[in-house]
Amino acid sequence: LARAAVDQDEEEQPLQAVLVADSFNRRFFPVTKDQPRALLPLANVAMIDYTLEFLTSTGVQETFVFCCWMSDKIKDHLAKSKWCRSNSSNTVHFITSDTYRSLGDVLRDVDAKALLRSDFILVYGDVVSSIDVTQALQEHRLRRKLEKNISVMTMIFKESSPGHRARCEEDNIVVAVDSKSKRILHYQKTQGLKKLQFPMNIFHSTSDEFEIRHDLLDCHISICSPQVAELFTDNFDYQTRNDFVRGILVNEEILGNQIHLHVAKDGYGARVSNLFMYDAVSSDMIRRWIYPITPESNFVDEEGKSCTHSRHNVYRGTGVSLGHGSQMEENVLIGQDTSIGAKGHISNSVIGANCIIGDNVILDRAYIWNNVHIADNVAIRQSVVCDGVEVKTGVILKEQCVLAFNVRAVVGPDVTLPEGTVVSLHHPDEEEEEQDEFLSDHAEAGHNKATKKDKANNSKELGTEGQGYIWKSSSLDHTKEDELAQSLWGLVLNPDPESDSESEASEGSDQPGSRTISPELDDIKVFQTEVQGTLQRGLEENIGCDNLVLEINSLKYAYNITLKEVMQILTRVVLEYPFFQEGADLSTSQYNTLLLPLLKGWAPVFKNYVKRAQDHLNCLASIEEFFLEHEAHWGALVKVLMSAYNLDILEEDGIMRWFSQEGTTDKSKLLRKNQGLLKFIQWLEEAEEYSEGD
Amino acid sequence: MELQAVLMAAGGGSRMMELTYNTHKPLLPVGNKPLIWYPLNLLERVGFEEVIIITTKDVQKMLTPDRLKLDGKMKLDVVCIQLEGEMGTADALRHVQQKIKTDVLVLSCDLITDVALHEVVDLFRAHNASMAMLMSKLHEFTETVPGQKGKKKAGEQRDFVGVDATGQRLLFMANEADLEDGLTIRKSIMCKHPSMRIRTGLLDAHLYCLKRCVVDFLVENKNISSIRGELIPYLVRKQFSKSVNLPNNKDEVEMSQKMEGQTNLEILGSCKDEELLRLTQERSCWNDHHGDMSEAYHGGKVRCYVHIMEDGVCYRVNTLAAYIEANRMAPKLIEDPPIHPSAVISECTQVGADSIIGASCQISDKTSIKRSTVGASSTVREKVKITNSILMNGVTVEEGCNIQGSVICSNAVIGRNADIKYCLVGSSQRIEPDARHLDSNLSINDSALGSLKMSRDWPA
Repeated sequence: LARAAVDQDEEEQPLQAVLVADSFNRRFFPVTKDQPRALLPLANVAMIDYTLEFLTSTGVQETFVFCCWMSDKIKDHLAKSKWCRSNSSNTVHFITSDTYRSLGDVLRDVDAKALLRSDFILVYGDVVSSIDVTQALQEHRLRRKLEKNISVMTMIFKESSPGHRARCEEDNIVVAVDSKSKRILHYQKTQGLKKLQFPMNIFHSTSDEFEIRHDLLDCHISICSPQVAELFTDNFDYQTRNDFVRGILVNEEILGNQIHLHVAKDGYGARVSNLFMYDAVSSDMIRRWIYPITPESNFVDEEGKSCTHSRHNVYRGTGVSLGHGSQMEENVLIGQDTSIGAKGHISNSVIGANCIIGDNVILDRAYIWNNVHIADNVAIRQSVVCDGVEVKTGVILKEQCVLAFNVRAVVGPDVTLPEGTVVSLHHPDEEEEEQDEFLSDHAEAGHNKATKKDKANNSKELGTEGQGYIWKSSSLDHTKEDELAQSLWGLVLNPDPESDSESEASEGSDQPGSRTISPELDDIKVFQTEVQGTLQRGLEENIGCDNLVLEINSLKYAYNITLKEVMQILTRVVLEYPFFQEGADLSTSQYNTLLLPLLKGWAPVFKNYVKRAQDHLNCLASIEEFFLEHEAHWGALVKVLMSAYNLDILEEDGIMRWFSQEGTTDKSKLLRKNQGLLKFIQWLEEAEEYSEGD
Repeated sequence: MELQAVLMAAGGGSRMMELTYNTHKPLLPVGNKPLIWYPLNLLERVGFEEVIIITTKDVQKMLTPDRLKLDGKMKLDVVCIQLEGEMGTADALRHVQQKIKTDVLVLSCDLITDVALHEVVDLFRAHNASMAMLMSKLHEFTETVPGQKGKKKAGEQRDFVGVDATGQRLLFMANEADLEDGLTIRKSIMCKHPSMRIRTGLLDAHLYCLKRCVVDFLVENKNISSIRGELIPYLVRKQFSKSVNLPNNKDEVEMSQKMEGQTNLEILGSCKDEELLRLTQERSCWNDHHGDMSEAYHGGKVRCYVHIMEDGVCYRVNTLAAYIEANRMAPKLIEDPPIHPSAVISECTQVGADSIIGASCQISDKTSIKRSTVGASSTVREKVKITNSILMNGVTVEEGCNIQGSVICSNAVIGRNADIKYCLVGSSQRIEPDARHLDSNLSINDSALGSLKMSRDWPA
């Protein structure tokens, strides 16, 4: 009887949710410098409103909103929203702290404060979803009833084929699941992988059917047991949900905790994790895929957010004026009191409130936020223009540009911004100067003088009246690895891996040209000698490779060296090491006997830097460069490649691709005709044929 | 004639030498019919009029229509091969290539199944597949195996079979033994077939539909010797081979042949797409997959399919355990009366409905036979109790014996009052009167068996 009472108690617990209104990453930087991501408008509604609407409609009665960066803004926004009205069915609590650095910190705090009593839903403040999780919740509770404290989390996925518009290469995952129990056995991001590996121990013999799924979109909605918070406390190294999931899966046998999956058949769910997803989710919203959440439904119940819906998915707010001859082709949302000039052509775009748009403006896949002034003859394609920006006449924004927040940001007149330009009033270097600007609001102080200082420099790109800094001339410039990781628009989707490899090859071919152009030669030279010194010390004092990597990394930051350059220099230093040790007049065989043990010893260091296909090509290009300079030692080339291949530093794919690249100079063409090299390549080909079987 | 049937019946049964050292595997009695009768019957049921049987000289002599008891007029084209040298199934198929004019259905003589064969053939036809095969859920053997009671079978290594979401397209195939470093799948395959089911616990029935061009490929590639071991994995792999582009003209074909050498001819080159078929595919809006906009089969020329039986009977009689299990199931598969009309059975005898009594048997008074098979021309005397056992042909059981869960091979004699439980009695063996045997192998001694195994090792 007592037990029944307890069960009933559990049933009566209100459904709780943890909403993390901070992404703890900089994917929307510098836009998020002025506005937290959760408040960025998507189809003219702040993203956090979608998340709260999803939680409320799925039956959540109590939501804990955790804020860190710009918590006041989020608080203000929500205080005015319908969620904080007295009749709201979902009670919203705020918990703010400047010390949160990750999801892990938030959940450890949840545990410390003992906020949660039963199963809860964990979401980020940038999740847009219309999925009904009731069924998943029931399944989760049933599992927990049958086996106490085994299943700790149920992750919600949505079926979506590879190459679907709402799938971002960066967030692609592959999941291995036990068919019957729906238990997740393996969870892995697939970005940059060519082959997917599954350890054999996940295919336990108690089941005879497993599913490997690459057609799932992670909605970033998880149903968690209260233990999740405890587990985060126990494992202080868990930072993200990814850490948690991997930790649980790997330690399944030890801890006995399991994670299950639920594939939502209906509804929509996606996380706006970068601008690529922002674009995809916005257009899904306008095309009504997230029904019943649609732009005209005005679910936030705010004045000024209402609009009418007419044919071809054209939505107009109140007070919109449209000039003579302007066309709104399809999928257009225009906010309140915005006026558009004559002869414009607008398609697949969202325009915020109180914007003034001139004549002859072409907008396609443009996301114009509030209070934006766009002058005449402007063309904007697949770009984001934040609040208060002024775009002068004749400006052309190519694909994937971002004009970040600021009321005084001006672009133009008569300039064309190339693809992927990001403009902000904040100076890019502020970021470097201030380690923690995420947490501090002092960022404003420094930048006035900076603006003056560098304004002239940017006038060429931003036009004579332009204000602001260009953060990045092109996101397509792959030379800086770090920036690639921060690219706002995510990686461009490559649906076909075959074509992927082609494009990589073509990129690789123009590498040799770009390599020689490096502005700070001196730094690189110093860095090179430092690396050499580090390796020497490593050899003499028998320092582990992990520590060597640490030292090289810190040198990398000290001299502001890109990853690509690190690899080039590392390769060069290692290849030159025998000369450094024994002088320049070594015979090829002496060189080999000296080099190969070194290569073996430092293999882990290499592996740390050579990971992706591009890295392999860069590494090979450096090896080639070295041997072009040391013609006498061409005989050693094969030995180097062979041992690098045997040590798993280089993969056959990379070597083959490098080899198939035509040499740019006569000498490098000659190098590729080296007998030993040809033999090695042939051997590789055969090996590949053979290994394809496995 | 759309499909030619090729029956592989030259296997020596190396995994159950206890039974096959004296009787050839295709002739082992199962439910009082030779094992080879079952695949022949399967073919006959679906209307095959001709079958090529590949076997050894010894077996050929025994393959009389009378013995096979086939009802129809199926023409048997028996081809003999020498046992010398290592000759695999692919070698055997190559051996009869001259006779093969169309696509082929290859099956093994040890297959006992009630599969609706059209399921496999339909898959083969519908997708214009290079290969379609049959698998079944693995049956757990429940009966005690003589001489192996209590012995735990060493954990056999599982086969991993990957199929697509429809459960029909065969995407992946590997044995656990080859997967020490983990199961690896290329991402490009996952992009084409984003939901892959990996199944274990499946039995490969060794029944394959092969395209004519695959046979041509075998003829070209003499280094492939086994169908199951080499050809099928190769085909499965080749589905996603990178060089999908078919050479356009003859010169290129020759070029590619030269490039890869004669021995490693691309199978793709031999699959010449018929013009009309290509046109049909071009003009049709039909597609085999959804989720992306690429053409049907992603333009792949090699396609492998599998039909997986979720229920029904499917055994491969290649071990003693499977043999016993198949005998137990046999009465359900055979339409003949369980007791042969020529058998003489005394009136005071109990014969269970689940038992089969062969021709010209003599069963004496006060005998009880349950869940057992008694072969032709056997003699069972008074007061004998036989349960859960298989008696092959010409066995003599003297008075008062008790036989339980055992296999008695041909022409064995069980002495009076013997008590035999869970034993295997070899052919022409004599069991002494009053002997008691439990759970043992009473055939010729093991060392002789071992040497036999060596000399007759023959990939089935």
